[in-house]
Formats: sequence, structure tokens, C-alpha cells
Amino acid sequence: MATTTAAVTLTSDLMSTNMSVSASTTCMKAGTTADGLDGMEYGYFDLVTGDEYDLIGATPTASKASKLYLKNHSTDETYFVAITQGTQAIGKLYGGDWMFIPADFHDAAGEIAITANGGTNKICYALFHEGITKDASA
Amino acid sequence: MATTATISISSDIAPGFGGISETMTLTQAGTLTDIDSTTGFSIRKLSATGAEDLIEMTKELVEPKDSVAAKIYIRNIGYKGVIDKSVGVTIGVNAEPIGLLYGGDWMMMPLTCIDADDITANPATDDTVVLEYVLFYEEA
Repeated sequence: MATTTAAVTLTSDLMSTNMSVSASTTCMKAGTTADGLDGMEYGYFDLVTGDEYDLIGATPTASKASKLYLKNHSTDETYFVAITQGTQAIGKLYGGDWMFIPADFHDAAGEIAITANGGTNKICYALFHEGITKDASA
Repeated sequence: MATTATISISSDIAPGFGGISETMTLTQAGTLTDIDSTTGFSIRKLSATGAEDLIEMTKELVEPKDSVAAKIYIRNIGYKGVIDKSVGVTIGVNAEPIGLLYGGDWMMMPLTCIDADDITANPATDDTVVLEYVLFYEEA
């Protein structure tokens, strides 16, 4: 069984007592304890300002247990990428920010798209999944 | 100390993949100034299917600033110490499902925090499950 683990440590001094949370999960196929995610794609690219681009080109199996990691490696803190899923704006990743989400890809309209702002953003992403449908060659 | 989040990912799916280890400091949009507000750490117990608001943006006691650098952390911690990988909760923003958090799974993502973009949780089954979560945001 392929094994993918994702761990996080979160600390903050915004409350009266400092908060520290640690969590780790083994990324399994949907609804199973016996079989781990077994597909992945990993990329790093420059994204120029302006147009919106689909982050994931092929369609991962819908409504499964895919996990998406995305980091904005821009060193300028004023640069950001806007994240949307379908037509819903999710949020913005500024230079240095990362995100990690379960990615549902519930249908053809559920793709995750990004738009760069401020300048050319440097983007790294990793998608861990349990199968994709590749586009047929033209 | 500020607010920081470190992610570590290891995987043997692809030969040669060296893993990921990254730390971010949560800052206000477009600056190096630390983010300044939080909901605090909360938990929510769910025992039936059907979408519920985990966070209603209009009901935050400190109004979040819209469309900047907010982040939310959510984890499915199971129930009474038992983490069941087969029990999932779909997390959504407004009417858009983001994805399923199975037992033990966690997520961290940016948010718009605009009033319509509530965070929803919709269990896939009637099994009892607890979510823990914390939102970091800028005060409006």
C-alpha cells in the first residue's frame, strides 16, 4: 500500500494562552482504512498576472479522497493568487502562503482555478489522488 | 511569536519524491504584519446528515475584513477518541463543496470571509463525528 502522510503544526499567540496544535493524517482512499492514495502529480510553475487558469488539467475521480497542496512561493508579500472552485471564490494565497485541502472535484464544474495578481507568481502544487481521467490526445 | 503553520508531507507514491516541508507566518494581506484576529479554537459535534454552518460570517463578534488573507484550519477528530477513516464530512464554502474530511483528516485554506461565504459541514452519514476548527482573520 502506498503511504502518504500529511502533518501540520499550528501555533498562535493571539489568545491569552498560546495555542499549539499538531495533527497528522494518513491519506487513504475514500472511506477505507486499508488502501492509501496511489496517484499523484507535482508541479512548479510561474503564473503571470491576468487570466484565470485551471490548476488541475486532468480530472481526478470525482467525490473521492483527493488532497491538494498549493503554495505561493513568491517572495514579494504583495503578490497573491486568487483561488476559486467552480464559480465560488475561496480565498487568496499571498507570497509565502500555503493551503492543503480535500479536493472533491464533484463534477466537471468543480475544478480548482487560480489567478495571479501583483506580478508573476511562483506556484508549487501537489495533488494526491486515487485515479484520474486523462484527456484523449487530439 | 505570531501565528505560524508548518506542513510536512511524505509520500512513497512516486519514486524520488522528496516530500514537502513548509512554514508560513500568517500575515495581513500584502504586508509582513502579523494577522490580528481569531475565532479561537472551537469544536462542533455532528450526528446527522445535512449541511450545517460551521462558521457564519455575519455572526462573528469581531467582523472579519473581506477578501484579504484569512485562513481556516479544520480537522475531523472522530468521536470519543475513536477516529473512523470511513466517516466523512463534506466541508463547503457557501454552496460549493470543497471536499470530504475523513476521520483524522485536516485541512487549511484561505477564505474570503465575505458574508455569503459561510463555512458549512455536511456529514456523509448519521455517525457522530466532531470537528475542531479555528479561523484566523483580519479585523474589519
